[in-house]
Amino acid sequence: MNKEALNPRIVFGDALLEAGQKNDRVLAISTDSSGGSQLTAFKNAFPERHIEYGIMEQGAVGYAAGLATTGWVPFYAAIAPFVTGRPFEMLKDDLGYMKTNVKVVGRCSGVTYSDLGPTHHSIDDFAMLQTIPGMTILNPGDPVSIKKAVLAAADTYGPMYIRIGSPSMPVLYDESINFEIGKGIEMREGSDVTLIATGTMLAYAVEACEKLEAEGVSVQLIDMHTIKPLDTALISRCASKTGRIVTLEEHYINGGLGSAVARYCSETNPVPVKCLGVKDEWVGNGPYEPLLESCGLGLDQIVKDIAEFAK
Amino acid sequence: MSLTSAEELKLKKKALDLRTNVLRMMKASRAGHVGGAMSSAEILTVLYFHIMNVSPENFKDNNRDRFVLSAGHKCLILYAALAELGFIDYSVLDTYGSMGCLLPGHPNMKIPGVEANTGALGHGLSISGGMAQGLKLNGSDARVFTVMGDGELAEGSNWEAFAAAAHHRLDNLLAFIDWNGLQIGGKTADVMNYSPLTEKLEAFGWSVINIDGHDLNAIVDAVTTASETKGKPTAVIAKTIKSKGLSFAEGKAGYHYWKASDEEIAEAEANLEQQRTELTAMEGGAE
Repeated sequence: MNKEALNPRIVFGDALLEAGQKNDRVLAISTDSSGGSQLTAFKNAFPERHIEYGIMEQGAVGYAAGLATTGWVPFYAAIAPFVTGRPFEMLKDDLGYMKTNVKVVGRCSGVTYSDLGPTHHSIDDFAMLQTIPGMTILNPGDPVSIKKAVLAAADTYGPMYIRIGSPSMPVLYDESINFEIGKGIEMREGSDVTLIATGTMLAYAVEACEKLEAEGVSVQLIDMHTIKPLDTALISRCASKTGRIVTLEEHYINGGLGSAVARYCSETNPVPVKCLGVKDEWVGNGPYEPLLESCGLGLDQIVKDIAEFAK
Repeated sequence: MSLTSAEELKLKKKALDLRTNVLRMMKASRAGHVGGAMSSAEILTVLYFHIMNVSPENFKDNNRDRFVLSAGHKCLILYAALAELGFIDYSVLDTYGSMGCLLPGHPNMKIPGVEANTGALGHGLSISGGMAQGLKLNGSDARVFTVMGDGELAEGSNWEAFAAAAHHRLDNLLAFIDWNGLQIGGKTADVMNYSPLTEKLEAFGWSVINIDGHDLNAIVDAVTTASETKGKPTAVIAKTIKSKGLSFAEGKAGYHYWKASDEEIAEAEANLEQQRTELTAMEGGAE
């Protein structure tokens, strides 16, 4: 595995520039954080296609919806909680209900803004956005798939949410990987347990699988980069094959990927499902990795939890 | 340019046709947001039947003017206009309120002629602003018209939208504020006072015109002035009477949402019939 690590925001910015080069209807929208969202390259290349609205995260979603009705393809990027929880009703009505072709990009998601505290954490966005019919939710787990997710979003009609983190992400894929919205990727074959990981947790999952293999636990690893629509066919196959599933996400267990997987399995293919994620409590503040560890999402804890569950 | 007397009479009759369509839907459902529908009848009449280049034939044309009903609960008057324009069949009006009918209590884009799904307040102006901005980016000279309620102004998202429209110099955007002074909880000034509105909107960078919202000529003139105003959006504060045209309901907050009895329906029909008789007499006089 290539362990080169890249800044996901810069990868996003470069991908949006490429999307803008390929499609002259792509717009970049910011609410006073275009630099933080790495929109500078796009702005420089296409100044007329970048729109700044200041810090009005509710109104910006409505403006994006209106722009989309006139044939534009707006990508609205800002800090994740402020493009999800803050304007939730606009996402529901102006994007979901109206089926507008707007792409919302929540960056620095999860507990990326670890020291800034819960106002800046976004560990509830899957829970909220999964309730919107027709809303696609992408949570790519490495730089290559971030780029492919952005390009796929630009080419696919409909409202979408793309979630990216901020800390450097190891490159897990090469460019030949087939990224298809709604289709999880089998990264590793295994027989004892299936680990379904998403987004920032994917790199942890890859490492966890290696450690577990050394302990004699054979793990089937799935990159579930699309939270919605969920790749239920793949989940069914894995449930039948390994008989147990662990989910891993930088999100509340309530309403997250794990909830969706467990619900699906309970209805169609009942197997034990262990959900690893943030428990129903306020996350504190501090450096990113120790904060993840405090949520039970450090590598050693993940390995321990999976090993116990797989027994 | 002001209306000729013949044009004015024609539009008065059209406004009455819209009110009659509203009553037709109320007869079918016996419940609906009639107050704000009736107060904005003249505004929609002028926009749809004198100003905008919108028709069932050109509805896919990117250069059509856009209308967004930000105060989506006024939908009865929008449906009334869409029936007159031929977007929907008159018979659809008789299904209002029935299970699964085409016309919900707030408009959506499944209905031919509707540009945006509204109902939750404080969304329409942002959507309209985005439309206006998109049309400008497209190089189109089409315009975007929206109708907001005065009670709706308390939604903070509107003020984001006002600021952004001025900042981006969206002079192809015109917002009518149907200032009927009443909302579900009583007088707007008592529930949450947004006066003085003219000064507020001017401070936000808008051109502001105050009119009598039932005066057809004043509405036409306001749109003309807005068209000539460059570099900034225009707000028209249209002073109106809630439930205008229904004598028993005019100016009463209780008719924001009307649950109609048989007696009230009969009285409303008599009211509108009387108005039609008066207009017919005027027509005879004009001849």
